[in-house]
Amino acid sequence: MKQLAGSCVIVGMGRSICKRGDPEKKTPLQLMVEAAGLAMKEAGINRTQIGAVFTGRMPRTYCSLQYNQAVLNELKIVPTFSSEVTSHGAGALGTIEMAVLAVQSGMIDYALCVCGEASPLWIEMVEGSANWEGDLQFEAPYGATTPSLYAQCAQRYMHEYGITPEQLAKVCVENRLWALDHPQAAMHKRGPISIDDVLNSKMIASPMRMLECATWFPGGIGSAAIVTRANLAKASPVKPTYIAGFGQCSTHEWIGERMGFWGVEPVTDGPNLVRTGASVAAKQAYAMSGFNPKDVDIVQTSAPFSFLNVLILEELGFCGVGEGGRFVESGGVDYDGGLPFNTTGGYLSFGQSGQGLYLLKEVMDQIKGCPEGRPVPGVEVGLVHGHGGPNACHSVMLVTGEPLN
Amino acid sequence: MEMSDWAKGLPLRAGENFLGLYQPSPETAEYWEGVTRHEFLIKRCRSCAKLHHPRRILCSACGEPGMDWVRASGRGTVYSFSEIHRTTGIFSPATPYVVGIVALEEGVHIFTRFLPEEGAADKDNSSIRIGSAVSVEFQVLEQGMLLPVFRVGGE
Ligand SMILES: [Zn+2]
Repeated sequence: MKQLAGSCVIVGMGRSICKRGDPEKKTPLQLMVEAAGLAMKEAGINRTQIGAVFTGRMPRTYCSLQYNQAVLNELKIVPTFSSEVTSHGAGALGTIEMAVLAVQSGMIDYALCVCGEASPLWIEMVEGSANWEGDLQFEAPYGATTPSLYAQCAQRYMHEYGITPEQLAKVCVENRLWALDHPQAAMHKRGPISIDDVLNSKMIASPMRMLECATWFPGGIGSAAIVTRANLAKASPVKPTYIAGFGQCSTHEWIGERMGFWGVEPVTDGPNLVRTGASVAAKQAYAMSGFNPKDVDIVQTSAPFSFLNVLILEELGFCGVGEGGRFVESGGVDYDGGLPFNTTGGYLSFGQSGQGLYLLKEVMDQIKGCPEGRPVPGVEVGLVHGHGGPNACHSVMLVTGEPLN
Repeated sequence: MEMSDWAKGLPLRAGENFLGLYQPSPETAEYWEGVTRHEFLIKRCRSCAKLHHPRRILCSACGEPGMDWVRASGRGTVYSFSEIHRTTGIFSPATPYVVGIVALEEGVHIFTRFLPEEGAADKDNSSIRIGSAVSVEFQVLEQGMLLPVFRVGGE
């Protein structure tokens, strides 16, 4: 695995946003092909040079099977290697992982990775969510909602480790502060929130309250990246971002059936709702890169609930198992002086837009010193965590601005 | 239950949104037949006797595919739960209701609806806690389907 560390780079990143209320309402396919165009332009390559196309899973509002085909058709790219990468939200970073393997093998030189979603522009989001994450046979008939599926893990997490509602609320408060600085964040103009605000917000699915649940990004985001080998990046017009390490781990499909699996990491000794594939993915990413959590200067996660943000900090190795609550409570991810964590505002305050590479973009922008929101000084190593399903699939990626030795 | 039925399924809706089809698939058809008889069935590996969720096709212990259906005691404890306060469509009037995972005596876990102890005040779900002893009942829930549910205490 170590031969992959820093072997590949991102030489182009594109993002296209359409917000609710914009004069033109765009589809996810529009946003994705726009982002792809921007990424190719930044990389200084044209469509004939693209050898592989990887898309995330099809957007909910542009349901077309084999979505990668719709994208390459629109872009008039003729790849020799192409796939939709569908491990729920972890598939977004999964596209980059596939791209690294494809270009590093020498089969192709440039891969285009593209993801996007625009659901809030086109459909009522509250209804009809659980069918993407729940078991239609054994969960949906009971009236399960997406928050109630995640809440199964939250309840156990609090029960097993004595994590308090106040500790979970703290992460929401800190996320919000970052969002106030980020012009694209859903909660950019909504002002700060307090722990009391979180604890007094409406109960959604116990123990998760309104301000502990992801907000939808108020629009759509398409994002795209061009991946190539580091030695080819010498010709690149922009400073490349090095892919230092990555890992992925998927543990189940439906939360109820998850309980029947153990004997392999992360669940070696019996039923468990509180450990996730993120720890396995992180170990792999650290091992590949040679970095450890102490080397990491900035972290983005796609965790859609307060408890999962705290739990993921444990899984990524920033504190011990069961220590997440105390870590956050004692300032571990404070906006001032803590580990820079969810510097866009995260899923709770920037908003969730299906799946995408926009969190990776934030890390790349911070490394290059040109973020849209509050700059974090001296970022050398960044970590991005992509997640999907009810805690089912996890990707972890480490990137740097300089080549690895 | 005819095998040819399962691909048709029962349409699940939340308001105007079509959620998909409830599908008693061939490998679980006997579970749902058991439900119609008010019997709560789980699977048992024919090779190593490990007990499994009714969905299981391959034994996670020995890897073999053969499964028999056995009747579970219907007793267990609350492993985890969530009280739903906000939802849409036909489930809305039932809020707050509790969904969760029951740990069956037999060591199998399954998603379910939890009901408070008999005699609890309306909408008072406070008797449902992690570790509460529960036992199975069969009820027609909001979608009009007969389902196994678990009540605190019971029997
Ligand atoms: Zn067996």
